[in-house]
Amino acid sequence: MILLQSHSRFLLQTLLNRVQNLDKGVELDYHWIEFDDVRFHIQVSVKNPHHVLLSVSLPTPPPETAFVGGLPLGALEAIKIAYSGFVQVLDPPRDGFNLTLKLNLSKLPPDEGSTSFFSKFDLSLWNGLMVVYAEYKHAILIKIASVREVVLGAPLRLILKGLGSRMSASNIDRLVALVHRSKESFFLLPQAEKVTVVFPMRFKDSVDIVLATSFLQEFVEARRAAGLNNAPLCLWSPTPPLELKGAPAESLSANAGFITIVIFPRHVEGKKLDRTVWSLSTFHAYVSYHVKCSEGFMHTRMRRRVESLIQALDRAKPGSEDSKKAGGNNASFRRLSLKEGRASWK
Amino acid sequence: MDPAASRPAVVIDNGTGYTKMGFAGNVEPCFIVPSVVAVNESFLNQSRTSSKANWLAQHSAGVMADLDFFIGDEALAKSRSSSTYNLTHPIRQGQVENWDAMERFWQQCIFNYLRCDPEDHYFLLTESPLTAPESREYTGEIMFETFNVPGLYIAVNSVLALAAGYTTSKLSSKRALAGLELRYYWFKILNFVCFAFALRNDDNDLDFLCEMTGVVVDVGDGATHVVPVADGYVIGSSIKSIPIAGKDVTLFVQQLMRERGENVPPEDSFEVARKVKETYCYTSSDIVKEFNKHDKEPSKYIKQWRGIKPKTGAPYSCDIGYERFLGPEVFFNPEIYSTEYTTPLPAVIDKCIQSAPIDTRRALYKNIVLSGGSTMFRDFHRRLQRDLKKIVDARVVASEARLGGEIRSQPVEVNVVSHPIQRFAVWFGGSVLASTPEFFAACHTKAEYEEYGASICRTNPVFKGMY
Repeated sequence: MILLQSHSRFLLQTLLNRVQNLDKGVELDYHWIEFDDVRFHIQVSVKNPHHVLLSVSLPTPPPETAFVGGLPLGALEAIKIAYSGFVQVLDPPRDGFNLTLKLNLSKLPPDEGSTSFFSKFDLSLWNGLMVVYAEYKHAILIKIASVREVVLGAPLRLILKGLGSRMSASNIDRLVALVHRSKESFFLLPQAEKVTVVFPMRFKDSVDIVLATSFLQEFVEARRAAGLNNAPLCLWSPTPPLELKGAPAESLSANAGFITIVIFPRHVEGKKLDRTVWSLSTFHAYVSYHVKCSEGFMHTRMRRRVESLIQALDRAKPGSEDSKKAGGNNASFRRLSLKEGRASWK
Repeated sequence: MDPAASRPAVVIDNGTGYTKMGFAGNVEPCFIVPSVVAVNESFLNQSRTSSKANWLAQHSAGVMADLDFFIGDEALAKSRSSSTYNLTHPIRQGQVENWDAMERFWQQCIFNYLRCDPEDHYFLLTESPLTAPESREYTGEIMFETFNVPGLYIAVNSVLALAAGYTTSKLSSKRALAGLELRYYWFKILNFVCFAFALRNDDNDLDFLCEMTGVVVDVGDGATHVVPVADGYVIGSSIKSIPIAGKDVTLFVQQLMRERGENVPPEDSFEVARKVKETYCYTSSDIVKEFNKHDKEPSKYIKQWRGIKPKTGAPYSCDIGYERFLGPEVFFNPEIYSTEYTTPLPAVIDKCIQSAPIDTRRALYKNIVLSGGSTMFRDFHRRLQRDLKKIVDARVVASEARLGGEIRSQPVEVNVVSHPIQRFAVWFGGSVLASTPEFFAACHTKAEYEEYGASICRTNPVFKGMY
């Protein structure tokens, strides 16, 4: 796995499971947390198996980001666009959460409707329709499972969409802060032809800082390689770049430096928009994942090295052949008989 | 307060066959996946050339291949569909064998399945009671060094299973498990669990004390342990383990089907045997009667298995007959499967209890808890209880006869506890434990690790009992 997927694996699994046994009453009550402190809670009751209550809590926003009613700017509209028809936003949300959605699974397209409408000749047509339906339904479920992307990525999507349609929005050339992780934000500078995204990167562990720094520098390096000419422009600097002039001072300290990514309209065309939004809004998690991976692989290599060194040492031991032959007789202690024991005392 | 302590801990129970993972405070694990890793090792076999450009290409191919692996069901699917992936089982017979694969497995569990940041959560892992201290150190090292976890607790799986057995035996029906009733017991359990894990505070009910005594019969896929626990402490010297586990049942089923000449493609036969075992096997009360039943009414007892050949895509079907009850029978009559090991499971449990301190034995007989996927065969607990009762009664009668019938001993109560969550009982116990506030205090923390090194993980408090 190189990129993090945008849908929550567990949520998708649960929803698929629910849809397949829709009429079976199941009691479900589950809490879980994803990276960057996004909490989920899903609840289904026996009485009402068609309705799923899904609550999401977002990371604590830093003061410079714009939050409306506990949600990022434009999140409610994004939800309405993405899930129209079968999702209802409950107000107020469940205690301790920012957003509660009520999913009505019975409003999804049916899996097995009555085939009686179709004569035998049309059965193949029906089956074909079913396949399309199933795919469509799966796509919807994936969309629900990526609720995190829809909610947290809403303001980013808005700006990038503005870039894609080349509309000169009103907030051009004004620095926008968006929530990234708990009490941390990243910055956007929308311009007419491009959007500059700046991430202050912070890590807790000292080893992580070193690895992340070199990872980010490598990132910039790799961008220069041939074949990546169309990738977004990418810069790393240990000090805050000029774009962050207006940003609050506390967000200008970053122990792993600042990475600047420049997004052009070609990066947000059509389907690319979703991917760009997701990759940008989870950039920290992505770097952190790869830092952890590389630590793991370094350990693997260290382990291999130690093994080979031990082998070399074993080969160099004098008389290792003999000791193998001796086998079990070479015990570490010898039981003394009573007589011998006494003799040794004297 | 540590912000990580405000989030639920991650509970991962790595078993030989399946890994159960999820967040503490829930009643079910998020995922139950096979403990396998499929690694792409094709870059290792490329011919080595000396030119620099090639070396660089090879190097980067190697780096890419580091991320090119899958775990769980995806791994099984990948290894079946392409030959570039090699399957590795990181755990064998309850012990971690391949640490590289294990590290990769954990990495995928955390980042791909649970999708959490390991720096944000305390972790609870499990180990078998016979795990070497070195292996615990290794686990600690990987968790602290690679994943940077803020805290780690390595629990003994049998103790967790005992806790789960206690909680669920109080519940009447399977339905209740799904939700609310379990929540109702949650608080009772919390108290109990604090006690059980030597995280004790003073105001504990003494009632729990006797509940925390019992024998855990843990039959997993790769290892079978019989672990006596007294007052929450493991009696280490009396642990018995037998070399027959779930995998052997699968192998036996496979062998039976092969000998009968069933039409199963050889490359798939192990998987088919496993599925047959999981869906159709049951425990019989008497083999001879069961054979007669099958012979009289084959239509009722013989099942059909349908599958598709992986290579050609042609459908096939085969019969499933005696192996339905002969599979689980290997625990009760091991001689039908192996010539080297012939002690039946009930006898092993009896031996285990007899070797425990004399004042705990009655309590141990009274609370025998099942755990692990291979105890899920229908009526397994009934058969176990009956056979064990037979052994115990025979001994009581013999001793009474020896004493000339003057002194009558009190009858020994034998009770095998079965509950609907045997499959992930260990995980459930872990989930309960990790949701107690005391859990965070009992963890090994990152600061401790940095101060003292991996040796902090060497010992486990549950072994520090009086025995």
